[in-house]
Amino acid sequence: MGTKVKGENRRTFLKTFGGAATIAAAAATAPLAVREAAAEENDSDKKKARYRETDHVKAFYRTNRY
Amino acid sequence: MATRVKFLCDADRCIECNACVTACKNEHEVPWGINRRRVVTLNDGKPGERSISMACMHCTDAPCAAVCPVDCFYTTADAVVLHSKERCIGCGYCFYACPFGAPQYPRVGNFGSRGKMDKCTYCAGGPEADASQAEYANYGANRLAEGKLPICAEMCSTKALLAGDGQIIAEIYRERVLKRGYGSGAWGWKTAYKETIAV
Repeated sequence: MGTKVKGENRRTFLKTFGGAATIAAAAATAPLAVREAAAEENDSDKKKARYRETDHVKAFYRTNRY
Repeated sequence: MATRVKFLCDADRCIECNACVTACKNEHEVPWGINRRRVVTLNDGKPGERSISMACMHCTDAPCAAVCPVDCFYTTADAVVLHSKERCIGCGYCFYACPFGAPQYPRVGNFGSRGKMDKCTYCAGGPEADASQAEYANYGANRLAEGKLPICAEMCSTKALLAGDGQIIAEIYRERVLKRGYGSGAWGWKTAYKETIAV
């Protein structure tokens, strides 16, 4: 009987401690996750065209014609 | 019609100097063991030897994107195929799907232990903000956003590797062929190889 009570206590402790640890871990990682998501551009920004026919690019075309 | 940027390697001009490979590694600080670009030579040392500089060809219907289980690839409005290293799980499917051997991994290993895939970005960075420190660390320089073209093409000593608007570089190549010919019909071929060798 005494052993049973001891076992239950241990389970209760693990349940409480485990739950608290999970919440603490979630709280600790949440700001990181938000920061990582903010680091990437949104879908339209990352897919936008970056090529521009600048003077630099025109010089490349000109010098490659011969 | 929107601009579609492309690579075009003139095999009549490539002399296998590997300057494109070196320039790429230097510009993007590519780690050891990864080559975003390489020069492939056929019939090495024999008459009719041909070299061509190869990297990601930024396919229109990219097979790497079709097989990626985490959908990390995306194509920009100017037709550059890029990927997100945040999403990549290093499964290696894209390596098997790519006909050009473009995807590279930092480590030798099995599924998931190879590290994040790395490939040619057409000097257009990645999904992070343009010219940011994070973008440079993960994908290298973003020359396209700076109004420049890929360093490999700009460095090419014989002007074999062309990059830029597909329409314009195709026109440049056409002009070259009209003016100088190609293969064994090219200007200077008979002086170099006599008439006995034809390609």
